[in-house]
Amino acid sequence: MSEIYRIPSADLAALMPELILSGTGVLILLLDAFLPRAQRLLAPLSAAGTLYAGWHLVGAAPSGLSFGGLLESSLLTVAIGCVVLISTFLAILASAGYLRRERLGGGEYYALLLWCATGVLLMGRATELLTLFVALELLSICLYSLAGYHRQLSVGTEAAIKYFLLGAFVSAFVLYGIALLYGETGSTRISELGPYLATGDVSALAVLGLLLLICGFAFKMSLAPFHAWAPDTYQGAPSPFVAFLSVAPKAASAVVLVRLLALVMPDGSATWSDLIALLAVLSMAVGNLVALAQRDIKRMLAYSGIAHMGYLLVPLVVLGPGSYEPLVVYLLAYALMNAGAFTVVSLLYAQPGEQHLISELAGWGYRFPLLGVCLTICMLSLGGIPPTLGFIGKYLIFVQAIDSGQLALALVMRVVYTLYMRPEVREPSGLLLDYPGRIAAVLAAFGTLALGTLPGPLLDWVKRLGSAY
Amino acid sequence: MFDWVHQVPILSIVCYVPLIGALFVVFFMKGSNGAAIKKFATGVVTLDFFLSLPLWFEFDPQGALFQFRESLPWIASLGVRYEFGVDGIAMLLVLLTTLLGPLAFLSSWSAIKEREKEYYVFMLLLQTGMLGVFMAMDFFLFYVFWEVMLLPMYFVIGVWGGPRKLYAAIKFFLYTLVGSVLMLLGILALYFYNSTGLFGYEGLGNPRSFFIPQFHEIGLSLPPELQFWIFLAFFVGFAIKVPMFPFHTWLPDAHVEAPTAGSVILAGVLLKMGTYGFVRFSLPILPHATWELLPWMVGLSIVGIVYGALVAMAQKDMKKLVAYSSVSHLGFVMLGMFALNPAGINGSVLQMINHGLSTGALFLLVGVIYERRHTRLIADYGGISSKMPAFATVFLIITMASIGLPTLNGFVGEFTILVGAFHRVWWWAVWGALGIVLGAAYMLWMYQRVFFGPMTNPENEDLKDLNGRELLYLMPLVILCFWIGLYPKPFFRAMEKPVDYVVEIVEAAQQTTMAVTEEPEAVRLPEAAPGQ
Repeated sequence: MSEIYRIPSADLAALMPELILSGTGVLILLLDAFLPRAQRLLAPLSAAGTLYAGWHLVGAAPSGLSFGGLLESSLLTVAIGCVVLISTFLAILASAGYLRRERLGGGEYYALLLWCATGVLLMGRATELLTLFVALELLSICLYSLAGYHRQLSVGTEAAIKYFLLGAFVSAFVLYGIALLYGETGSTRISELGPYLATGDVSALAVLGLLLLICGFAFKMSLAPFHAWAPDTYQGAPSPFVAFLSVAPKAASAVVLVRLLALVMPDGSATWSDLIALLAVLSMAVGNLVALAQRDIKRMLAYSGIAHMGYLLVPLVVLGPGSYEPLVVYLLAYALMNAGAFTVVSLLYAQPGEQHLISELAGWGYRFPLLGVCLTICMLSLGGIPPTLGFIGKYLIFVQAIDSGQLALALVMRVVYTLYMRPEVREPSGLLLDYPGRIAAVLAAFGTLALGTLPGPLLDWVKRLGSAY
Repeated sequence: MFDWVHQVPILSIVCYVPLIGALFVVFFMKGSNGAAIKKFATGVVTLDFFLSLPLWFEFDPQGALFQFRESLPWIASLGVRYEFGVDGIAMLLVLLTTLLGPLAFLSSWSAIKEREKEYYVFMLLLQTGMLGVFMAMDFFLFYVFWEVMLLPMYFVIGVWGGPRKLYAAIKFFLYTLVGSVLMLLGILALYFYNSTGLFGYEGLGNPRSFFIPQFHEIGLSLPPELQFWIFLAFFVGFAIKVPMFPFHTWLPDAHVEAPTAGSVILAGVLLKMGTYGFVRFSLPILPHATWELLPWMVGLSIVGIVYGALVAMAQKDMKKLVAYSSVSHLGFVMLGMFALNPAGINGSVLQMINHGLSTGALFLLVGVIYERRHTRLIADYGGISSKMPAFATVFLIITMASIGLPTLNGFVGEFTILVGAFHRVWWWAVWGALGIVLGAAYMLWMYQRVFFGPMTNPENEDLKDLNGRELLYLMPLVILCFWIGLYPKPFFRAMEKPVDYVVEIVEAAQQTTMAVTEEPEAVRLPEAAPGQ
């Protein structure tokens, strides 16, 4: 019996980043409860926890499988973990000012955010379906509560409820899919599903199960036609949190999709490729077209995010060793530019309950030069203009993305145009431009620029991903 | 005297001095101190011009094709390298850019009154972008600069432009963007054909590379159908920039709305990027497609020449007139280039420089008078030569340069182009000559209506003649117009080698193209005979 309770130290070491994150979360909650005067420490503490987790993540060599094969640690999970932690870190920086401006307590916020990041990391690493599901629930429940964190706002509540209702359905989908797969194959380990699914003689129920799973993660990635929650949720949720919401869960879901697709793609059946291609094309088209019609910058970014997830699927259509490089680079680019954009949005719109009209930014490029430049760089990166990381990402994803990139550009140009070429329409009031927020914006924007100008080391590093598979 | 330039990365220095200046302005100069910013920025571009002068003296026309080479790894995993270098053509265009820079900046001193800091930052960035385009020898790098340059121009038009600036800026941006995206597809097609292959074509298996001379090498062996499509992709990108008929419609809007300096840079340098793209990429990399599409290219050029001239004649606004005259003149450049013989291409390259000088000067002149009277309508003027004698003289010289009077630069360029065109197909030259006649007509007619005759508008009574600053930025252009008109030899000498290089590739392709096109006919004839 005693065997069960002793966790091998190698396994613990492999779980270090997650342990640090959730531990910091608990610590913050306790601090908040018992030392109310330590409020100001919460943000630095959670940021430090994230960095420490990141240090562990990058520092430890990928150790392969742990916990009896339930979790995996590979170059890919490390890379995705980095993307997740970067967006967590930027979101924390951006949140401090937001919480202070809106007079919201910070303890639960940071704790939930860190636990959410824990869930995301675990989901990216899970190689067993029930572990995957538990991780998914952990992150989902944290996301639901964070989406409605601004309690006084009706749009915030609306955002949370919408996200929750749809998300609950999707959890059921995923669980049902797992049940079906288990029923057909007798196993919940992804590696054991592989041989069965690769036989070619697959029962309809197993296919249905897999489809349900893919739908579930397509929902988390806000791919069309599972995207309806994204604009509403983004609009109502706290902006700095959206910087996290729009990146981290999507990154981990993409990894899960890669794992699932790797099961069925090798047999050469084109059906799954077609399915992914369909999702990709739909997302690009819907995202870009609808984004053009948006007047609210957060909704616009939501739709453009849908389109970007479509780009991201392109390398997955034909899954191979070459798929990982564009996937990771694009996710990193997306994480940076999205975080930058949402941070600036959170700093420049003081009434989070109202709409975030693009036209209200008119002329503010001159009033807030630094934030204006940051937003411009992020927008250009979203539009894929060199020398930004967005361009490198698009370049790697190649022709499909470039083709429909036109529309994306048209819409990002609208923001730039409003910022600099329209006369001002409103006076700033109630803004709180704190240092962490500005630092987050600068880090994101200039990170995009720097990595876009000198992408060599990044690409070299990412290239190892492809050779590892 | 300038030996030292071979020891330092002179091209990078010339390219990035404006960028460094821009960063300095951003971080260390207060926006309220406009006077200091404009002096500093002008100083930076002037310094840059003097730094670029050694290129002229140290460039060895007999030496390697590309000189002042710089080569560094950049993005190794994609095969992208940081490659700088100039041949004679690029060297001349680099000098044109660094020369027009200070002149345009000087002209902005009185024209730009608000948001000076941002204005000079964007103009400096623009300068870096344009220089990089001409210096890059790596296609990826070229593309990066090509795009980078787009944005500052968009801002310059959109923020400091005229009444319809927003419309003009967006039109400019969308047009050039569509072009550059297609161009990127073309670049990628070349890249993949050179390495791993694409669309069912087996690649050549070379290491991944965007090195432009490498693409020149494989040009002759590219399959003709592939060339055809890549040529079309490049064509859209470059033809929009040139602009060739029917892609020219953004140009009059952009020119009319842009501030004077913006127009000068736009006409003087930006348009040359299109023609430079043709001579650097389309012709030598895609020679088969060049021959295949030759009738279309020449047809569009001739339409551009005549149409541009006719529309220019109907203009009431001086700036619009000059803008349409650009369409006509650039049609000339394209006609010469697609004569595909040494004379034609030489003339074409020289005419790029000429057009940069004379049209740049024309925009500056229109800007001078616009600042005084805030109107560009020809009808608002008349008889002002008595009030502004120096202005009238300079304007006359530039007008003559533009219409190709002997002893001035336009004559040399146009004549050489006509010789080239005549050698290829004689009636091309006839259309070209018609363009010259029309050009003389609209320019002289405008000159007459603005400067001669009775002074009908009392508001013109107290017009002031050119001041020292204006003379300072006009004189270099006048001197250069005479220099090229009287002694163009150094210019021709510099471009001789690259032009011969292009012609050699294109002629080699001509022989194989002819062989390919004749073959199917030879096969078809006997088959058709029994049927009859």
